[in-house]
Amino acid sequence: MNAEPIVRISNLHKWFGMLHVLRDISLSVQPREVVCIIGRSGSGKSTMLRCINFLEEPSDGEIEIYGLKIPAGGKGKEHNRLVHEARLMTGMVFQEFNLFPHKTVLENVIEAPIIVKGMSRPNAIQLAEEKLDSVGLLFKKDEYPVRLSGGQKQRVAIARALTMEPKVMLFDEPTSALDPELIGEVLNVMKKLAKDGTTMLVVTHEMGFAREVADRVVVMADGEIVEAEKPEELFSHPKDPRTQALIDRYRTGGG
Amino acid sequence: MVTNSLPEKNAPGASLKPDSPEQSMGAALVALQQRQRYIHSVKVTIVWLVLVAVLIGGLLLIRFQPSYMLEHYNIILQGAGATLGVSLASIAIATVLALFGSVARLSSSAIAQGISGFYVSVLRGTPLLIQIFIIYLGLPQIGTQLIRFGYPEVGRLFIMDAIPAGILALSLNYGAYMTEIFRAGLQSIGYGQREAAIALGMTPWQVLRRIILPQAIRIIIPDVGNQFIAMQKDSALVSVMGVWEITYLATRYAKKDSKYMEMFILAAAAYWILTIVSSWFQNRIEKRMSRAYER
Repeated sequence: MNAEPIVRISNLHKWFGMLHVLRDISLSVQPREVVCIIGRSGSGKSTMLRCINFLEEPSDGEIEIYGLKIPAGGKGKEHNRLVHEARLMTGMVFQEFNLFPHKTVLENVIEAPIIVKGMSRPNAIQLAEEKLDSVGLLFKKDEYPVRLSGGQKQRVAIARALTMEPKVMLFDEPTSALDPELIGEVLNVMKKLAKDGTTMLVVTHEMGFAREVADRVVVMADGEIVEAEKPEELFSHPKDPRTQALIDRYRTGGG
Repeated sequence: MVTNSLPEKNAPGASLKPDSPEQSMGAALVALQQRQRYIHSVKVTIVWLVLVAVLIGGLLLIRFQPSYMLEHYNIILQGAGATLGVSLASIAIATVLALFGSVARLSSSAIAQGISGFYVSVLRGTPLLIQIFIIYLGLPQIGTQLIRFGYPEVGRLFIMDAIPAGILALSLNYGAYMTEIFRAGLQSIGYGQREAAIALGMTPWQVLRRIILPQAIRIIIPDVGNQFIAMQKDSALVSVMGVWEITYLATRYAKKDSKYMEMFILAAAAYWILTIVSSWFQNRIEKRMSRAYER
């Protein structure tokens, strides 16, 4: 893999006040690669993901997306422009779905292409319907989010992010807010995306998914990357005791 | 015959062939609850009617002349136009003020926060009547000084007719209260909504206009309706400036013919009817706005 990485995180630090939550994180994601990030809650995995599209402003280091370099701590118009560019190249899926409740499913999906990208309405609708079909929810396009199940909401949220045609998809614990019986449908959509060659960064507790779908699994603990390995290697021969502990916990917890 | 919206089969007395015992039990229970609710609302209506009858009876005892009211209701009707007009204009301007005020209050700019905080504090902290006096009687003092100093165009802006002065006072006063209502409404929209919109590349202005405001409005509307209903009555205060609205006209005729009870009851009734009509519209708007949230 010697292609230019889609995402390159270099020496990333994040402080929340006195709390040093990310300590010198460096990570590259290649095109079409699926990277799963696992770790206990509080390990900094979500914060790292949110630094990539600047939902959290990094304290130090550099984020590079598709060749666009954004140093931490920037201010002013130029920095805002770079951040905006970065957000256009990343699609994000949240734990709590965050669909817009006052808009129908279709309106949720076409909103950003029209008002952010300036796409024409017919084009946006065509693209949105394509993406909704790919997550299996075209038949719900005129429903309001309140009438959807959690799993359906998350699939719409995925379609909404995909319709912006990002270079990389960021998933922040996409199944953690779901009832157990609804997790499968969301993971299936994500598996399909992975198979189609979508570049993905997935913060997750789903070890089965990480093992099956990830090209690389990154283990985080105490704001650091402990290990980053191919899943078969990581799950069968964990090098770090913290990785071992994490895997054991899920095994005994039935996760 | 009790009218209820259940299908024929479940109407009381018509359920001869229920599908199952539980189902017929359930249907009977629903029918019973509906009938009880209906009877209850009939009782409440009767209480209202009795209260009105007692009031009218009491008034007739003190040589009250309903005929005078009937002869002069059209005068109050004229005033109702002014009352409604002043209130509508004021609530519209107050809404715009509240929107800017609340956004400023939630912004990170010290200047915006300071201005909006000062505005809310002063306007909520002083009586509306005093504000009306300051605008109608106080500002012209500044105006005449400005004219003397050689700024006649600016100076004339400070000298207002009664109706613009009344609208300005009501707008400023209600704008301050509604700033707080809008602020609470905007804050009630979860942070996740903002984040999702930002992650999609929306600018702060787009997030506010397309995502936050439309959701906040649904929460704000009932309170704005209440403010509007309250304002219709507070607009009576502009009668002190001689605006020909309900209270002013009622006072005029009451004094002229010594028919205080007749004219003020008439005025009160006019306000009451305005309130009832406004509440009806408010209800309809609320129902329409909650459509997206019905399961």
